[in-house]
Amino acid sequence: MLTIDAKNVDFYYSDFHALKNINLEVEQNKVVAFIGPSGCGKSTFLRILNRMNDLIDGTRLTGSVLIEGEDIYAPGVYVDELRKKVGMVFQKPNPFPKSIFENVAYGLRVNGIKDNTFIEERVIESIKSAALWDEVKDKLKKSAFALSGGQQQRLCIARALAISPKVLLMDEPASALDPISTAKIEELIYELKKDYTIVIVTHNMQQASRVSDKTAYFYLGELIEYDATTRIFTNPKEISTQNYITGRFG
Amino acid sequence: MKKEKNIENNTNSNNSSIVRGSNSSKRWSQAIAFTIFKLMSYSVVAILILILGFIVSKGIGAISWDFLTKAPEDGMTKGGIYPAIVGTLYLVLGSSLFSFPIGIMSGIYMNEYAAGSKIATFIRIMTNNLSGVPSVVFGLFGMSLFVNTMGFGDSILAGSLTLGLLSLPLVIRTTEESLKAIDFSYREGSLALGATKLQTIRKVVLPMAFPNIITGLILSIGRVSGETAPILFTVAAYFLPKLPTSIFDQVMALPYHLYVITTSGTNIEASREIAYGTALVLIFIVLLVNILSTILRNYFSKKVKTN
Amino acid sequence: MKVKRFLEKLVEGALLISGSVTSITILLIVLFLFKEAAGLFNSPVIEEGYVLAMNKSNPVKKLTSYQIKEIFDAEITNWDEIGGKEEPIEVVRLSDLTKYYTEEELGAEFENIPAKASELTAKHPGIILFLPEQYVAKNFDGTLLKHEKLQPGDFFGGNEWYPTASPSAQYGLLPLLLGTIWVSLGAILLSLPFGIAVAVYLAEIAKMRVRNVLKPLIELLAGIPSVVYGFFGLVVIVPFLQQTFLLPVGETALAGSIVLGIMALPTIITVAEDAMRNVPRSTKEASLALGATQWQTIYRVIIPYSKSGITSAAVLGIGRAIGETMAVLMVTGNAAVIPHTLLEPVRTIPATIAAELGEAPVGSGHYQALFALGCVLFLITMIISISIEFIGKKKY
Ligand SMILES: Nc1ncnc2c1ncn2[C@@H]1O[C@H](COP(=O)(O)OP(=O)(O)OP(=O)(O)O)[C@@H](O)[C@H]1O
Ligand SMILES: [Mg+2]
Repeated sequence: MLTIDAKNVDFYYSDFHALKNINLEVEQNKVVAFIGPSGCGKSTFLRILNRMNDLIDGTRLTGSVLIEGEDIYAPGVYVDELRKKVGMVFQKPNPFPKSIFENVAYGLRVNGIKDNTFIEERVIESIKSAALWDEVKDKLKKSAFALSGGQQQRLCIARALAISPKVLLMDEPASALDPISTAKIEELIYELKKDYTIVIVTHNMQQASRVSDKTAYFYLGELIEYDATTRIFTNPKEISTQNYITGRFG
Repeated sequence: MKKEKNIENNTNSNNSSIVRGSNSSKRWSQAIAFTIFKLMSYSVVAILILILGFIVSKGIGAISWDFLTKAPEDGMTKGGIYPAIVGTLYLVLGSSLFSFPIGIMSGIYMNEYAAGSKIATFIRIMTNNLSGVPSVVFGLFGMSLFVNTMGFGDSILAGSLTLGLLSLPLVIRTTEESLKAIDFSYREGSLALGATKLQTIRKVVLPMAFPNIITGLILSIGRVSGETAPILFTVAAYFLPKLPTSIFDQVMALPYHLYVITTSGTNIEASREIAYGTALVLIFIVLLVNILSTILRNYFSKKVKTN
Repeated sequence: MKVKRFLEKLVEGALLISGSVTSITILLIVLFLFKEAAGLFNSPVIEEGYVLAMNKSNPVKKLTSYQIKEIFDAEITNWDEIGGKEEPIEVVRLSDLTKYYTEEELGAEFENIPAKASELTAKHPGIILFLPEQYVAKNFDGTLLKHEKLQPGDFFGGNEWYPTASPSAQYGLLPLLLGTIWVSLGAILLSLPFGIAVAVYLAEIAKMRVRNVLKPLIELLAGIPSVVYGFFGLVVIVPFLQQTFLLPVGETALAGSIVLGIMALPTIITVAEDAMRNVPRSTKEASLALGATQWQTIYRVIIPYSKSGITSAAVLGIGRAIGETMAVLMVTGNAAVIPHTLLEPVRTIPATIAAELGEAPVGSGHYQALFALGCVLFLITMIISISIEFIGKKKY
């Protein structure tokens, strides 16, 4: 079964036609990178996958998006359940004004888990998976704002992992970080791939080629090309893709 | 047992649906909370409509041409409220003459000359403090300074100055905010063409900020016309059939008139009709002020956009 | 060119002067209020033009304003209650002299009153005689109380506000202060839940279209003059309370609280809603992306995040309520007694000023006492303004 299966997706912000007839499939435990020039609709499509765009007034979607075979835009769908299964990491680290521990525990608590020993185990496990444990193990009760930007971003990843999503959406997760933190996040993505299906938006070609199995190139709201990453970066079919990855683009 | 299952559901949900979880309690609490908030919000609206509806329905019968253009008669149980309307107009005019120039100038100083400086912060704090001072304290102050110390007596002058000081913070704040909303690039554009700071403010900044400033001024007029406590001891007269002839005369005023005929008139019951009418006129002023400021804001913002 | 430069400087100077007007006003308010009020503690305890006389042997040589009132109200009847000997108090006013002396003895033109008053005071060890100054003999045989000054304790600690009491007017702050606090607290307890609910609804729940209708309506609520609220309270809420709770009078602290609560709503709603709108979108999205419902996001993230804004809203609302004059004056019944329940009439500080300043002769003790009330009110609102400044600076 495909993990993500988008069919004929069109998306509108009020009158603005932001995505045009997108068809895209993602298999389980694969990493897919979205690339393309600014404003081409990468974030928009990513946010379609956990229905984050519902928060914006006047948006409209046609076509269908299936995750693990279920239409996530069907009537009767609970968005909070969907978002529990499809986690998201944002461009800028956005920890809550709470302690490090409570940040990671948040998702468990809002999903009705009350067993404190379980929460503690899960929090530690997630922080370890996010490769943050050694740096924060002595200050779990400290405010999350006391961490560096890169640490905050890994905390946000830990937070997303704690509720065991199946899919992890990452919107330029390293764009606000220094090279060392970026390298750490990339390593982490490589590790996480074993357990999760990952979709990552990036402006960094090297990053896309390093971390992803498949790459999708968007341009002006259209999905121009979607193929194995090696293929896209060595021998793209479309001239537009070629221009973009070689930096000859506008 | 139940706990175990819960954890299962939340961690390894291999066989559960992606979009239809079992955790319904959080959705229930959301539904309940939102219903409560909605009900509370609508009850606030209901109260507003009750107040407005009550006064409009009771007061509309009292309104007539004579009511608006005749002086009170028979111990204020009959006749009109013309002197009070005129008095309130004078007070609004007098206080505006004082507070508009000073308020707008302060706002300009804070945003154009001292933006971000200690002085601007200080002025802002003082202005905020002044806006927190209760109106009755303004009344005391006005009586002590203008009426007694400066010897203006109970007069339009003393009342206008008191009301002017009261509305000053509102004028300053709206001016400052209107100016702040204008992008800095417009100023740079003008300065780059060799215009002086003053010219830039006069020719570029003020015209652009004008619509918002005007809106603030209108709101301050609304506020001034309804104030009672500051005029109690500085200008308001219980009953004066004649119109004032100088700024050292006392006047009647709408809010004070409403107060006296409902609490200490010669015949409170007989004045009820007049009271409802006066309240309606006051509400009408507020409505007018709000509608006018909204229209102006929309009109100007459209104009700025199309330009 | 020089002229132009000079003009620029001139204008800047004029603008600076305008900018200083609010600061100067605050300074002047402080100056004038405190100047008028300070006279209060220099004014005599005993009614102007009168003295109190006591027997020489009486060890009590000083009386506070409150003690004098209690004595003349026959609440204190023995000198030992106020630190004197065991001796019943004998209260004598000028008119009472006829009980002790015949009209002939006092003289046709009352020319003998000074001598007789002196004699009477000397003879009765328990006497306290209230006498116009003009009838005090040169060689009066007794203790005279006339230069007693009102003490700060009489004002700040006084339990009674009774400015027309004779021989000693009572300027006790406490009943008015407590009245103000009762009414304002009641108001805020009523309006805070509604205010926050509406703020949450407007900021997070309501659709754009609903918000666009509700917002202006609430602004309208803010613009209605306080006399109109007072009038509405008087003709609708007061009779309603009277019938519902079967009260002798409907003008009660509760009526004041309800009216003030309605009046404080727009302030609370606007400030709290602004605070909630200032919660970064990314923080909200972070919560939703973890599977939290909207409501969970509101109470776990948005409300804690905007705590300081909501606190400001509450404090600001209290400030408005404490200073509000006309509406309260019209619906609370204005009884200057310390209230025990919300269903009794009370009198607040602003209402007292508004109601009594017109009758108090300029410069009299009563007038000064009202200015002292103004000072108290001013100080309370200053503290509130400053604490809001302080709360606003704190992040979470
Ligand atoms: N809330 C919104 N309302 C209206 N239009 C929007 C909104 N968000 C995005 N758009 C428009 O949709 C288009 C796609 O935006 P999107 O954010 O998906 O681009 P992107 O590919 O993620 O760009 P970037 O690389 O800069 O993040 C853009 O033209 C943008 O202007
Ligand atoms: Mg983007």
